Amino acid sequence: MKIENTKAQMRKGVLEFCILSVLKDDDAYVAEILNTLKAAKLLVVEGTIYPLLTRLKNTGLLNYRWEESTSGPPRKYYSLTETGRLFLKELNTTWSELHNAVTIVTKPKKSNNE
Amino acid sequence: MNKTVNINLAGIFFHIDEDAYMKLQRYLEAIKHSFTDSEGRSEIISDIEARIAELFNERLKNEKQVVRIKELDEVIAIMGQPEDYLIDDDIFEDEPNQKPKNSVSKKLYRDTENSYISGVSSGLGHYFGIDAIWIRLAWILLIFGAGTGILLYILLWILVPEAKTTAEKIMMIGEPVNISNIEKQIKDGFENVSSTVSGVAKSVSDSVSNAAKNVDLKKQSNKIKSTSKTFFDTLADIVMLLLKVLAKFIGILLIFIGAAMLIALIIGVFSLGAVNIINIPDINFIEMANTGGLPIWLLSLFLFFAVGIPFFFLFYLGLKILITNLKSIGKIAKFSLLGLWIISIIGLSIAGIRQANEHAFNESYTKKVELPITKTDTLHVKMSSKNNRGFNFNRYDNSFKIITNKDGTKMLYTSNIRIMVKSTTDTLASIAIEKSADGNNYDKAMARAIDINYDYELNNNTLLLNPFFTTNAKNKFSGQKTNIILYVPINNVVYFNNSTSSFLNTSSRNDNIVLKSYTNHYLKILDDDIICSDCPEEGNKLNKTENQNLKINNDGLEINANDSSIKINNNGIEIKSDDVEININ
Repeated sequence: MKIENTKAQMRKGVLEFCILSVLKDDDAYVAEILNTLKAAKLLVVEGTIYPLLTRLKNTGLLNYRWEESTSGPPRKYYSLTETGRLFLKELNTTWSELHNAVTIVTKPKKSNNE
Repeated sequence: MNKTVNINLAGIFFHIDEDAYMKLQRYLEAIKHSFTDSEGRSEIISDIEARIAELFNERLKNEKQVVRIKELDEVIAIMGQPEDYLIDDDIFEDEPNQKPKNSVSKKLYRDTENSYISGVSSGLGHYFGIDAIWIRLAWILLIFGAGTGILLYILLWILVPEAKTTAEKIMMIGEPVNISNIEKQIKDGFENVSSTVSGVAKSVSDSVSNAAKNVDLKKQSNKIKSTSKTFFDTLADIVMLLLKVLAKFIGILLIFIGAAMLIALIIGVFSLGAVNIINIPDINFIEMANTGGLPIWLLSLFLFFAVGIPFFFLFYLGLKILITNLKSIGKIAKFSLLGLWIISIIGLSIAGIRQANEHAFNESYTKKVELPITKTDTLHVKMSSKNNRGFNFNRYDNSFKIITNKDGTKMLYTSNIRIMVKSTTDTLASIAIEKSADGNNYDKAMARAIDINYDYELNNNTLLLNPFFTTNAKNKFSGQKTNIILYVPINNVVYFNNSTSSFLNTSSRNDNIVLKSYTNHYLKILDDDIICSDCPEEGNKLNKTENQNLKINNDGLEINANDSSIKINNNGIEIKSDDVEININ
């Protein structure tokens, strides 16, 4: 088992959750989503996001509309659908549960000895 | 100085260096092929293209600027290598490392990049993990084996797809096909089965709209797939392995049968076709076959397709079992082959009907001539050895021959002759030649019967009969027969030479009184019967009623029935019937 693979796997696992979270408040086009994710160092290369976006859109969690751009090709603006919002809500709960669980498990030993 | 190319990327116009263009093209192709499922592929690609266009736009200061390798490399560094796009399928896999390995399982493709003719050999080389030179050598050897190699090569050329895309090229080179890999493939096969089973179960439970059950089943199937295998899974693995091995074995068997039959047929048709052109003397009797007017080449073609096409499909099926990514021969080819097969069957049936029709009428023509022999003399009968053209005194050997006469006409020689002897109250002996032939109408049959030439000679009380008759070759084999009926006055003595034996009847039907076994004896003609004057049993009447008896004496055992006889004596065992004669000495 390679450490890189495990790392990538961990990152990829939360990627969908993060994409949905980015779109929670505002619609965004790919570059904006990418900038947020890259700023958070969640994404190393951009390529990964395209199949994910297409899948989220195909499963009905996301919607998009075309908008003209002054510099470059027209942009796809993604937005959450109702299902997407429900999905995100559930993921949020799962995430906080997971976060809790991981925090407990990875806590220093003394807390385990209680 | 660099040549530039104009491209349209997501609706935006770019000048791009030629080398950068080539690289971009390869990059996009590679991405395209990293998505195995076509669902949403084009959409993803256009999204990616749009993003690349955007990134280019950020890097270019004005419209005149050209995209160079440098800019492209920057963009690729941002976008990531083709492998980075593979995230989609991996994300929810329990064992992410296993998947890419499995997808590299080997498939047979034609390697057109390293080809001499079509890449079949190098493709096979990749498949079996050996150098292509050995495969090429094997082809050359096979070509000497009656052209088998050429046929097989062309079939593989047609049926094996070319490795066009990167994914296919990777699969072509893949891992060598060895036992451990085959085992792995079989395990994959089992997992596919289990996932389809769970899929079916899912759809069933969906239809019952029992959501809870659905989740349970899903979980269960996931368990089967991912957790350590239970005893039954291992058992199923073994069964699947056996089944797969059996399937491959059947595939090999089908290929073998199909190929052998096709090769045999092709050789057969070629040699039949060659007869018409080269005219091999010993084989040209084939063209004498009465096919009812249809040319031989057409008939053999019909036969070739009628038999060959089913075997071709057998061969194809075998290949399909062995090579999973075999190209389909296409609907058009399938249906035209089917059509050709039906036409051939119809053609053969028509030929069969016409052939049968050719024998619808059987007519005979009889000519009776008196034989001037004195009553007191013995009539000796033997087969003539003059002009016998290699015919033995045996009715069953060399039944047909084609001989060209001096004037160039082709003559058909056959020995289909029977000799019968009947008693008569006339004072003079006579000989009747009864010629008969078949035809599709009376006139034709009669004409063919009359066209039979048969000669005999009377020489000082010795009747010399030709062991063959001739007819013009244009009459073809049309059931020509010649019956010789000797009418011998009562009290005359006849002596049949041994040479007549195979032409004589074994039965006394149609008032025949001299049987096969009576040769080399002096036979006195009685009214519808004979008496043997020098037989071991003196004066024994050999008439019909006495034929059916049982004799046991010092010589041995003899049983005579109407049509057959069994003799056991010092010479061995002799069993005779109308058509068959068996001698065990």
